[in-house]
Amino acid sequence: MIGTIVKKEIAANLLSYKFFIIILLITLLLFTSFFVLYKDYKGRQADYELVRAKPGEPIAVLAPNPLSIFAKGLDEAMTRSFEISPIGIDVRTGQKSGNAVFAFFPAPDFVYVVKVVLSLVALLFGFDQVSRERENGVLRLMLSNSVSRATVLAGKWLGNFLSLAVPFVLVTLIGFALMNLDPGLRFGSSGTGRFLLLVAIALIYIGLFLSLGIFVSALTRRSASTLVILLLIWTLLVFVLPNLGTLVARQIIDVPSVKALSEKRTQIWTSEILLQIGEQRAVNFRGDGAIRKRHLDAINAQLNALEADYRIKFDRLVRLAKTINRLSPAAGFVYAATELAGTGIDEESRLKSEVIRHKDAVLLEMDRGVKEHPAFVYRYRTVGRVLAEGGLFDLAWLTISLILFFALGFVAFVRYDVR
Amino acid sequence: MLRTIIRKEIQNSVVSFRFIVVFALLLILVPVTVFILTNDYVKKVEEFSSRRQGIEDYLKAYAHFNRLGGVVQPSPPPLPATALVRGISSDINLEDFEDDPLPVMFPLLDLVFVIAILLSLAALIFSYDAVSGEKEDGTLKLMLANSLPRHQILLGKIFGGTLTLFIPFLVSMVLGLIVILVNPRVDWMGANWGALGLVLGGAAVYIFFFEALGVLISSRHHSSSASIMTSLCLWVLLVLVIPNLSPYLASLLSPAPSRIKVNREVSRLTDVERDNLGRQLRAEKMRDLVKRYPLLASPISEAEAKTKAEKDPAFREAVAARTREIQAVWDEANRIQGEKAEVLRAELDRKEAAQTRLARIVSMISPLADFTYWATDLTSTGLRNIAHFKDLSDRWDLAYREYSRSKTAALQKKDPAVDWWNTAVDVSDMPRFEYKEEALAARFKSALGPLAVLLVLSVGIFGAAYFSFIRTDPR
Repeated sequence: MIGTIVKKEIAANLLSYKFFIIILLITLLLFTSFFVLYKDYKGRQADYELVRAKPGEPIAVLAPNPLSIFAKGLDEAMTRSFEISPIGIDVRTGQKSGNAVFAFFPAPDFVYVVKVVLSLVALLFGFDQVSRERENGVLRLMLSNSVSRATVLAGKWLGNFLSLAVPFVLVTLIGFALMNLDPGLRFGSSGTGRFLLLVAIALIYIGLFLSLGIFVSALTRRSASTLVILLLIWTLLVFVLPNLGTLVARQIIDVPSVKALSEKRTQIWTSEILLQIGEQRAVNFRGDGAIRKRHLDAINAQLNALEADYRIKFDRLVRLAKTINRLSPAAGFVYAATELAGTGIDEESRLKSEVIRHKDAVLLEMDRGVKEHPAFVYRYRTVGRVLAEGGLFDLAWLTISLILFFALGFVAFVRYDVR
Repeated sequence: MLRTIIRKEIQNSVVSFRFIVVFALLLILVPVTVFILTNDYVKKVEEFSSRRQGIEDYLKAYAHFNRLGGVVQPSPPPLPATALVRGISSDINLEDFEDDPLPVMFPLLDLVFVIAILLSLAALIFSYDAVSGEKEDGTLKLMLANSLPRHQILLGKIFGGTLTLFIPFLVSMVLGLIVILVNPRVDWMGANWGALGLVLGGAAVYIFFFEALGVLISSRHHSSSASIMTSLCLWVLLVLVIPNLSPYLASLLSPAPSRIKVNREVSRLTDVERDNLGRQLRAEKMRDLVKRYPLLASPISEAEAKTKAEKDPAFREAVAARTREIQAVWDEANRIQGEKAEVLRAELDRKEAAQTRLARIVSMISPLADFTYWATDLTSTGLRNIAHFKDLSDRWDLAYREYSRSKTAALQKKDPAVDWWNTAVDVSDMPRFEYKEEALAARFKSALGPLAVLLVLSVGIFGAAYFSFIRTDPR
């Protein structure tokens, strides 16, 4: 029986204007997004070739992550070049900061398209499942047959999910396959696996919004009101909650601004250098290695303490912001997707601590007078670790919300008056 | 007659479910957003003043011109307008090792966001069935059976719709502004209120655009369910996609050289190469000096030099000459290398400016981008302000250099052993960087471009809606 209902839903969708225009929209968006971010990646790759560290140079710079085509996340922050010198880490930014319009709008990558557009589209597939069919009278006809409401609802969910998921997965896979034609772009088996996982999370996310749509549809009598309520819930979940959550977290946890930190840093090292110069001049004009060394060590100790303090506070802020933001499935999706792609907040902070460790090692070598330094190697966390360190939680949270909304939808539908 | 239709539209809407939901949402969201942003602003102000104090304390203890430049870098204060409009956030700061990645993941919520996303969506929700819905209900037939020109119906619908959305928004804004007014730490001036008024005016045009778009789509469709689909798809494109794509398209069409590469080249020119050149020139100069002043031949410590200079006027003169001429040599090296670097930088700036301009033009197809530029430029939180700030800091930089030059010269007059990089100076009379917001009139003038585009788009959509509506078959 369920097969018949699924078939009916798919057939109805295939014939509808809604299906036509929505599939057109997501095809267009996904391909544009793939193309534009692919080009962006190639540009950054070319930049990287120019600035990559020569053997022995004390520079830590990461190649752009190919998965950033799908989840750009913090890849731009992660691929900055970190040049290590006796007074710390000198950061050089890439190309993008030149064009100020980038700062206005978030990157239109796969994650963005799914987070914003596909969630909306899933709601549009779900909103008229109960209320519109009641208005049409179809629901009455259907339920007058010997078919349980559970079957009807499951069939509806599955039929609509398939009519959205199949074109979506198809378009995404075609895009991915086309990108693989470029010999300069290597995802490898790990990259492909991560990408497929990314698509799977996207499907859970879409399913969640479909369930939400059906749930609200079963709560309302008129499809026009269903839509209004859903659109407002959608704005809240996708735009308002995650963006407000970060601000709220900032109210609670006091973190100095980046600017304050950098001013403090300049003050520390310039004052130490001046003290050093003073001491050297007291001895003789030429200078003395031991004095210089002592002051450089003092600079490093102070800067390390300052930055460690900042990082502790900032980690606390990130954790709180994440907890608040997870109220919205959109935030959970973004966290899970970016961490999987290796462009998330945790990955970036891990990279930074690796850079600091590298810096300390290089500084020790510089003290010993070594001129050639080992290259900086960074290994992204494995999928297993990403999942263990929060990814699984987000995934489970999304799945539970999906099931919860479906169950609520079922309860509402069982009690629904179909007349 | 027009008044009757507008009244009818408003009365119809006000009792509708969607109006109540939207109004309730605005009533909660706007004050909450303003409250949180205001607190954030107050926090920022506190931090800014403690940062300034930190710099002043530093200056009292350590002030050598050699190291001063990095410490007294100009930095923009938090502006009172950020209690409503965040604009381009300077929080991310990729220039520093400890950056702040949170706003990259989730852009901060502000008034512009509420207007640009929420109100545009609400405008479409209000207007998608303006024609198709009335056709389905049969009221359109009835209405047109009266001696009523169609353009009046259209105008009534669009203006009525705009008002039913704009007035609740204003009410929620009033609640938000109370939050600002009762907070003693937020000091809003006349210009801030003026800017806010203009932003709200822009918001009215923005809502009008989407009302007209909704009516246009509605009159092209027979059923309102099809009309809402088209409306939402177009909304996604105009609001969520085109602005985000524009900088990427611009970087494809008008590429700029890699900043990282240019910076590296510049720092090589002005650092390593400058030092090499300077050392070479200094060695030549020293040979010349030693020939003229044999006293300088043997190196001695500075303390010894000082006592010797006090006793021996010839030595004193020699030291003065050395300080002066070595300084001249380094100035020369700096000038030569600086000119080379300037060429590279100018080329980069030119190309980046061209790319930014193109991105801006492409994005202006989207009313969201037009409104965002209008609002951020007016409140000094946008691109215009970045340029303005750069202008101010360049000017300050000149003043600072002039000050450090004249101060060093004055000190050297008293004591020839003083030089630019090793002597502590009292800098209490140094010019401090003061940020001054651009005058509202100038901001208004510069923001007129985006507003004009928004107006043209609105009129265009209105015209299209008109032609569509007169051809609509009301049956």
